[in-house]
Amino acid sequence: MNFTFHRKRISGVLVVVPANERSFVEEMRNFNFPKGRSLKLKEVMGYDKRRIVEPGVCVSDLVLFGLQQLFEQGLLKREEIDALLLVTQTPDHFMPATSSLIQGRLGLKQDMLCLDINQACAGFVIGLMQAFMLLEQESVNKVVLVNADVLSRKASPKDRNIYPLIGDGAAITLIERDDKDSVIHASVKMDGSRAEALIIPAGGLRLPSSPETARLEDVGDNNLRAKDHVFMDGSEIFNFVQTEVPPLIENLLARAGISSAEVDYFLCHQPNRFMLEKLADKLKVPYARMPNNVVEHFGNSGSVTIPTVMAYNLRERLLREQLQVCLAGFGGGLAWSAMLLRLGKLAFNNIIEYE
Amino acid sequence: MDKPEFYQRLAEILDVEEVKPENVLKDFDGWDSLAILSVLAMADAKYGVSIKAEEIRSVVSAQDLANLVEAKQK
Repeated sequence: MNFTFHRKRISGVLVVVPANERSFVEEMRNFNFPKGRSLKLKEVMGYDKRRIVEPGVCVSDLVLFGLQQLFEQGLLKREEIDALLLVTQTPDHFMPATSSLIQGRLGLKQDMLCLDINQACAGFVIGLMQAFMLLEQESVNKVVLVNADVLSRKASPKDRNIYPLIGDGAAITLIERDDKDSVIHASVKMDGSRAEALIIPAGGLRLPSSPETARLEDVGDNNLRAKDHVFMDGSEIFNFVQTEVPPLIENLLARAGISSAEVDYFLCHQPNRFMLEKLADKLKVPYARMPNNVVEHFGNSGSVTIPTVMAYNLRERLLREQLQVCLAGFGGGLAWSAMLLRLGKLAFNNIIEYE
Repeated sequence: MDKPEFYQRLAEILDVEEVKPENVLKDFDGWDSLAILSVLAMADAKYGVSIKAEEIRSVVSAQDLANLVEAKQK
């Protein structure tokens, strides 16, 4: 599904990562996994360091920390926030919305909209689209988009297929109207028939958590996982990305009348280095123009990874100048999304640590 | 499908000199989850087919694997 937006821009990005850093090779020793193979996985997939929250830390804690920092530094005023959009798969509660909890804890004005959006790795682009649509309203001048997840808390520590790869974090993105006549193209696709490729089977109302769903089961290769834990069908997701994402991006570029060579950077979701290299190969994009190093420093933090690529790889450039970028996210849903925009001259573009 | 070329690509993934059609995949030291992912990627990039990891795990010999990829192309 195609979308076009006019006169909208991203004006700042702040990423919050937990200070707690884990090492892949160290963690793999807990799995009785041969060190040689761990090193090979590190080399090919890029798994190295990642950031996860301490026990008990929730999405709202990370977000509050980041927003308070923006208030203290004068980069954002409380009363300026007309909408707070939170994209997360790991809310504090079923109800109420975590965005409302954040509003309450920060003492934000009542004259605003709080909205939780249940989206995974495609969720940065989807959140931006919602923000752009809200900015069509005269009463809305500034939207705060927050992407945040603490998925490490839902991963089995005894499942080496997923636990050593996940990162936690939050990204705060400010969105406002642009004085210039900028045009932004986006495209989104969904396939709920493949929803079970990335799922937390228990804990909702279909299968409430119980001692039974908390029981660790042997799922092969000495991995143990419960139904309360996140499950990912790695090969299904790999095939999905390689099949669906290149045409999505190619069609988006064609519709916008922009050639691949005119795109300064492809800023994609960061599951691992291997998948991004294969994606770049398919799109015939040099690796230098599709950064793939977020997972090795921070882990895969879902919809937080695209803003993390911006802040980690392009901090100075995006403060100074505008670049033509293509964003692309893909994952749970299944959902895949892409957006073509001019990004830059940001007021801030930082990564901070949550202690 | 150029079978010798397929076996050569498989040899590169398994980090060995040569793979013969009758070789049993599980007998290679390098036949692990990463090798399986690499085969998925190779099948996609070089032969334009999507295979599932379970399908790869269910084949025995290198020849079975070549046949699986070839069958998917049709």
